[in-house]
Order: sequence, then C-alpha cells, then structure tokens
Amino acid sequence: MSAVNDIKRFIVAEFAPDSTVEALDGDFDLFDSGVVDSLGLLRLIAWVGARYRIPVEEIELVPDDFRTVDAIRAFVEGAARSAVG
Amino acid sequence: MPTESFLARFAEKVQRTPDSTALSLRDRVVTYRQLSELAKVASDRLREYELSISDPLCVAGNKSPELLAMLLACFGAGRRVLLPPAGLGRTALLRLCERAGCRRLVTVTGGPSGRGTASLTPVGPATPGGRRTPLTPQDSGRPGLMLATSGSTGPPKIVPLDGPGVDRFIAWAAGQFGIGPGATVLSYAPLCFDLSLLDVWTSLASGAAVLVVAEDGATDGRRLLDLAATATVVQGVPMLFRLLADAAAAPGPHWSLPAVRHAVFTGDAMPSGLLGAVRRLMPRAELYNLYGCTETNDSFLHRIDGAAAELAGLDEPPPIGRPIPGVTAAVLGAGGTVLAGEATGELVVRTPFQSRGYLDPELDRGRFCPAPAGLPAGRYYRTGDVVHRDADGLVRLLGRADSQVKVRGVRVNTQEVEAVIVQHREVLEAAVVALPDELGGHRLHAAVRRRPGAALGGLQLRQHCAALLVRTAIPTSIELVEEPLPRTSTGKIDRNRIRLSWLKGKVPCPR
Repeated sequence: MSAVNDIKRFIVAEFAPDSTVEALDGDFDLFDSGVVDSLGLLRLIAWVGARYRIPVEEIELVPDDFRTVDAIRAFVEGAARSAVG
Repeated sequence: MPTESFLARFAEKVQRTPDSTALSLRDRVVTYRQLSELAKVASDRLREYELSISDPLCVAGNKSPELLAMLLACFGAGRRVLLPPAGLGRTALLRLCERAGCRRLVTVTGGPSGRGTASLTPVGPATPGGRRTPLTPQDSGRPGLMLATSGSTGPPKIVPLDGPGVDRFIAWAAGQFGIGPGATVLSYAPLCFDLSLLDVWTSLASGAAVLVVAEDGATDGRRLLDLAATATVVQGVPMLFRLLADAAAAPGPHWSLPAVRHAVFTGDAMPSGLLGAVRRLMPRAELYNLYGCTETNDSFLHRIDGAAAELAGLDEPPPIGRPIPGVTAAVLGAGGTVLAGEATGELVVRTPFQSRGYLDPELDRGRFCPAPAGLPAGRYYRTGDVVHRDADGLVRLLGRADSQVKVRGVRVNTQEVEAVIVQHREVLEAAVVALPDELGGHRLHAAVRRRPGAALGGLQLRQHCAALLVRTAIPTSIELVEEPLPRTSTGKIDRNRIRLSWLKGKVPCPR
C-alpha cells in the first residue's frame, strides 16, 4: 500500500499541487483529466523508473500502464516480479 | 482529399509507382499499393455499415495507416467526412458530430503492428446541448472534408474545406516545398489539423513518402531526431523544432539533419532564440515561417536567411513575411478601414485556398466578410491577429485581438475555458490566464473561487473541464480560493494581477 501513497504523493506534488493525496482515487484517469499530458507522462515514467529501479528504457511500455495510480502500482509490481523471476 | 483531382493523382501513383513508400510508422512501411489495398478493406467495411450516402460521417481515431485508409475510402465513395479534434472529451465529440449532421461515428485504431480495428457508434438524436446545423441543400450529400477549428470549447467551429481550394493548395505546397517522388515529409501535426493538408495529403497526391509521428511519440525529442533523419521536408509548430534542437544539443554524438531541404515553422510565433539552433541542426535546409489558419489555410510566407550565428543574435521572432501568390491581404485600422503603407492593425486576408465559410453560417458574422472598401471584390476573412506592416511591406505578428492564445500549437480561448469552469455548480467565479511556457508557448492557469464550504478540488475540476474541452484547454495549474477574485476599478476581474501574482510565486493579492 505504501507504493500507492508514494505514487499519489509524487503525482499531486508534480502535477496537481492544488489537490491533496486523499482526493486522488486509485482509478482516477490521469490522462483524460489533463493532469498528466504527454510531456508529463515522460516525467512520470522517468520517476517510476528511478524510484523503483525499473529499467524503463528496456521494457515495452504502453501508456495505459500509467493511466491511473492503480495501473502504475500494478506495473511496478509486475516489473518487480519479472525481475525476481 | 475528397477531390477528383486528388483521387486521380493518388490512383496514378498507385499504378505507376506501387512499390514506393506512401507511409511509414516506426518500423512499419506501407507502399502506395498497400495503402490502396487498405483503403479497399476500409471500403468494404463502410459498405457493411450500410450508411446513407447523404449523411456525413465522423471519422475519429489514432494517427495510423488504417485511419488514413478509412479517409481514402470515404473520399473515394464521395462521402462527406468530419475529422474531429484529437483528444476531445466524449460529450463534446458527440455534440460536435450532431452539429455537423453526423448520425454515425467511426472510430479507427491502427498502429505499427498492422492490426487495425474499426467500430461504429450511433450519435443519439438528443445529445444534451447538441444542436444540429441544418445543411444547406447544396451542402448535403456533397463530398467534402470538415475540420473543426482547434478552439478550446464547445462549440468548435466546423469548417468545410472546398474541393477547388484544396486542389489549389496542394499544387502550391508541392511546388513551394519540393513535395514529389523522392521527397520524404515528416507529419508531426494531428491529422485533424489543417497542417495535414501539406504534410499528408499533398504528399500522397504527389508520390512523396510520409513519415508519420504517432501521438505517443510526439514529445520524445530523441525519437523524433531518429525519425527525422531521412526527412526532406519538416513542417511543424515551434515546439517540434525546440524538441529536436534540445535533443540534438544533449551530450553525446553530434546530431545533424542534412537531408532536410525545407524546414517550415507554423502555428505559432517562432522564438528567435531557436533559429540559430535549427540552422545548425539542418544546415542544408531553407527555413520558412508560414502563417495561416484553418479557415483560409496558409496566407503568408517568409524565408529566413542568415547564418546560424546571425540568427542566434536576433531578438525578435521572424516576420510572417508577405502574402503567398494569389493572396490578397490588408491591415485594418479602427473602424475597419484599410490602412496604406506602414501600419498596425488587424490582418484581413483572402486566399485561393479558403473555405466558403463555417458550416453554421451564423458564425460567419464578423469573421467572413465582404471586401472592405478599397480592396478587390470577394469574400475576406478577418484573422483576429494584430500585425505590423513596415514600409517595405514586411508583416510581423503582434498578438491576438481577442483572448485567444496558443497552447502547444492549439488555439484556445481563455474566456471559453472560464465559461466551462463557471458552469460547475460549486464554482462562483473563475479567471483563466495564459502564462508563458518555454515548451508549449503558453500554459493555462485558473484562479477559481468556490462556494464557501464546497469540497471541490482541483482533480474534480479538471474532470469537469475534460468532459467539455480539448485536453490542451484544461488548465495546467488551478488555484482554489474562497475569497472574491481581485477586481479592477471598473469591477472586472483583474486578470493581470492574477497573472502577475502567480508568476511572482503566488503572493496573495492585496485588495
């Protein structure tokens, strides 16, 4: 669960400082709402890569993996599993 | 393009040079023959839908060979097509369809893998807020392409493109920028932008190859550099050239794009600081500043001469230059009088490429107008742009006459964004201001006063905007307050003070 809060904190601080971590639901659509645009997506991917030590430039990424906080969490967990396995 | 001349020229390329490249999207190369075959598949799909030929069809989707093939199929069938702005919220999209008289929406997806899908959605007859524009008898059933001005909110204005005007534009653009067999043209703009008339449709009519930049790769400078390596023509908003120049300047191997022969800046003022870097990156290219809008297509062109060092020293954006051959232009002073010689005022143009007017003729008022006194007869378009023309006839763009700004190449009306925010029931008042942005030209900041005790947050407000606006019109930053917004002595919201206080680091405004 801490990963979820971690991701939410980054998104709120970086893209929506007018909002709060509590207001950001796990299934909130970050793209359709304009919170994360295409430039923001690059920043988000870079942050996820650095924060969770995921070699994002070597993985086939789809934008949908970053559409919601829940999707990002699933992506991070999936990457951790494939690194272990 | 839905003109007989375009279709004939494209068919001729398919027959004479079937194996030359029509499109490439990442690793996927589509030849003229393959594109023609994809269009046949799309035609069969269209027939299965059993649509009435007199109904216009809205065709949405991601930028892909499949979407282009669907458009070719529609043009071939003599069907009228609406290409909606990319990223339009669902409700706004359905309203737009309805206003264009479209009863069906086809959504096409395709991509580098070569697997495409198409789906048909009925447009309800009673979309809330939708209002169908009755088509005039000469318009209904007439083949044509309708674009929507990239304006921010509902309702975007629908601009039907005229066949003869499109044919004249293709002839001009192909000659001016060397678009023909052997040319490779980078297509950066979304398909629904009028820029695509040059980079996609002029190319396909002329036997050139189109390098398609998909939406998801549009901001990755390094990938754009790789892609642009083989381009001979690069047209785009200043942001594209900024991304290319920044990526080329990053540590690592020295980058150069020697294949580029024509680099065309358009859609927004080109920052002067960028010109030197572009000249170094594209040492063999002619550099141009091109000015136009959806309603008239291009009207002014300026060739930028000078070496990199000289260009780097300029401290103002390049001029938009002089009218393209066949264009009549004038500078209007207060009261709409035509000014002679050196002058500052609103630019009015008439081009060989222009639309006859908006789909909804009521919108023409104040925009499309008869010839101002002293000009040759004809229909003119008031651009809403304020320009300065010097004694030699060179024209420079000074700004917008109204509250329109460009955000990442898309024209956004800040007043319309305010109107959408204020529609939210927990909002009392709102001001939207444009702040300078290094990469995007402008970004929007909203100061919003919510009802006392309201739980409204920035995320919900963005969702509210997303349903009614294109994404570029959703404010990047939102400041929620409970106190009244600052006002001027005449009682109007003081947008300048809001802009300044935000730029200076959110200092509370004294009242």
